[in-house]
Amino acid sequence: MVPLAERPNRLEPMTSHTSIPQDLETLTVALEAAEARLQSILQTVPDAMLIIDERGRVESLSATAERLFAYAKDEVVGRNVDMLMATPHREQHDAYLKRYLTTGERRIIGIGRVVTGRRKDGTTFPMHLTVGELQLADRHYFTGFIRDLTDQQLTEIRLKELQSEVTHMSRFMALGEMASTLAHEINQPLTAIANYLKGCRRLLERMAGEPALVLRDAVGKAADQALRAGDIIRRLREFVARGETERRIESLPKLIEDASTLALIDAKENAVTVSFRLDPAADLVLADRIQIQQVLVNLIRNAIEVMSEGGKRRQLDIATVADGGDLVEVSVSDTGTGIAPEVAAQLFQPFVTTKRKGMGLGLSICRTIIEAHGGKIWVDSPPDGGTIFRFTLRTANGEGRSLVE
Amino acid sequence: MSSSQIVHVIDDDVAVRQSMAFLLSTAGHAVRVHESAVAFLQAFSGTEDGCVVTDIRMPGMDGLELQGRLKSMNIGLPVIVITGHGDIALAVQAMKAGAIDFIEKPFDDDVLLVAIRSALARNLHLVEREAQLAEIGRRLQSLSDRERDVLEGLVAGKPNKIIAYDLGISARTVEVYRANVMTKMRADSLSELVRMAILSGNAS
Repeated sequence: MVPLAERPNRLEPMTSHTSIPQDLETLTVALEAAEARLQSILQTVPDAMLIIDERGRVESLSATAERLFAYAKDEVVGRNVDMLMATPHREQHDAYLKRYLTTGERRIIGIGRVVTGRRKDGTTFPMHLTVGELQLADRHYFTGFIRDLTDQQLTEIRLKELQSEVTHMSRFMALGEMASTLAHEINQPLTAIANYLKGCRRLLERMAGEPALVLRDAVGKAADQALRAGDIIRRLREFVARGETERRIESLPKLIEDASTLALIDAKENAVTVSFRLDPAADLVLADRIQIQQVLVNLIRNAIEVMSEGGKRRQLDIATVADGGDLVEVSVSDTGTGIAPEVAAQLFQPFVTTKRKGMGLGLSICRTIIEAHGGKIWVDSPPDGGTIFRFTLRTANGEGRSLVE
Repeated sequence: MSSSQIVHVIDDDVAVRQSMAFLLSTAGHAVRVHESAVAFLQAFSGTEDGCVVTDIRMPGMDGLELQGRLKSMNIGLPVIVITGHGDIALAVQAMKAGAIDFIEKPFDDDVLLVAIRSALARNLHLVEREAQLAEIGRRLQSLSDRERDVLEGLVAGKPNKIIAYDLGISARTVEVYRANVMTKMRADSLSELVRMAILSGNAS
């Protein structure tokens, strides 16, 4: 506090509580005591604190402030405080001071706000700054109290991350709720259906004649479909309950072939031309067969649906590309009307749909499935129209293949 | 099997128990249906031969309690447990409590019928049951040590992450081992895998 000590005559307000000085010597002693008290405060105050004069020169700073900005006291005292600030306040601070001293309009004094501090090494950090004012005779001094918000902001970022995880989980749970309720409610009638049909099949086995033979075959197939429905529900439930899919090493071309067969039943009627471009390197993937088929069927059916709404060219492309590393990318593109950007952004949210008769769950479930597989799903709108849905899957080429004898 | 053997079907869902009775009767079994474990215990004389096919989750007395009750009453009827929730932990508990098999709804008729035949032929060496166990044994034999470790974790109901932690390997690697186990055991679902592992364990 050398500068203050040099202007003893201006310090009456600060020392008014002490006994009235008898002479200059007593005054000096009193001042030194006040100075010592201030220094001890600055050394021990847990917050970072500094004092500047009206030209922005640093008068004094606390030990915490030294640590916070990573400067030694001597490097800061007597210099412009803007060295501790980040752009744009760094360049503007002198002007701020001037404006305040001219207009008296308070923008930060007594209010406090979050600004960005700058350490000696140039790195910046968020801080909360409270400014107080001290007027000594005709001179202004400003005290700044600084709280480092780095930890707090990290906490907030983590909170936001968690929140999005929770949002994802709640989406997941909503699905889980539905799946688990559905599973239980539907499994009972499915069991009864399968039992009756299998029983009928057994009876028909004992009957002779061609009708019995045909019936036996049909009834057996019907029973298999009831079991298949149960299988789909069980997988969905296991997946939502455990958050893990039953992944196996599957041939991607085979998965695509099976799914397209299922999904393209109506394609000919809609005059859709289908082409496949399958990368031979995109072969084995870690996948739950049924779930990935569900995703593919969904995407292919969507594509056919949008193309049936109009347009002369009806071209469906299914392609795979191996990225040479951990992932393969599968794309399903159509020549339909395309998707508006504002819809595209939230396309994978549940209950968002462009269809007149849609629940908006299809793509949301696709996303849940793909993400659970460690992949990503997104939509591209090529400039020449149409829509491309892309998703990635993890390959089983690396450690996977070496483990498969 | 003798005609004096009766299959008792216990399920609180009327359509399920009636359809089961129909299916079992087409396969030549004498069947009695009961809407609850309590109703079964009231109707059961305690002397007749047969087996019990019971749903595990029911209002009132559930399948596990019924097993305990039969044991305490010294009734040695073999029990097959049916589960509608894919509740593997519960099924494992039932198997440990002496159930001879657990089957998930909806089920293939052959799976249920083989289980019932082997229940009714407890003291006989049932060829198809033996063949089934031998086949499971062969598949188990084909597993590597690590794959067997992962299988044990799965049977204990542990998720991949815990198994990975226990074995000191990455969850990703566990996933690959698990995929291999499923492929080698030819299991379509986790419950089927657990069922095979337990059947084989109980037999040995």
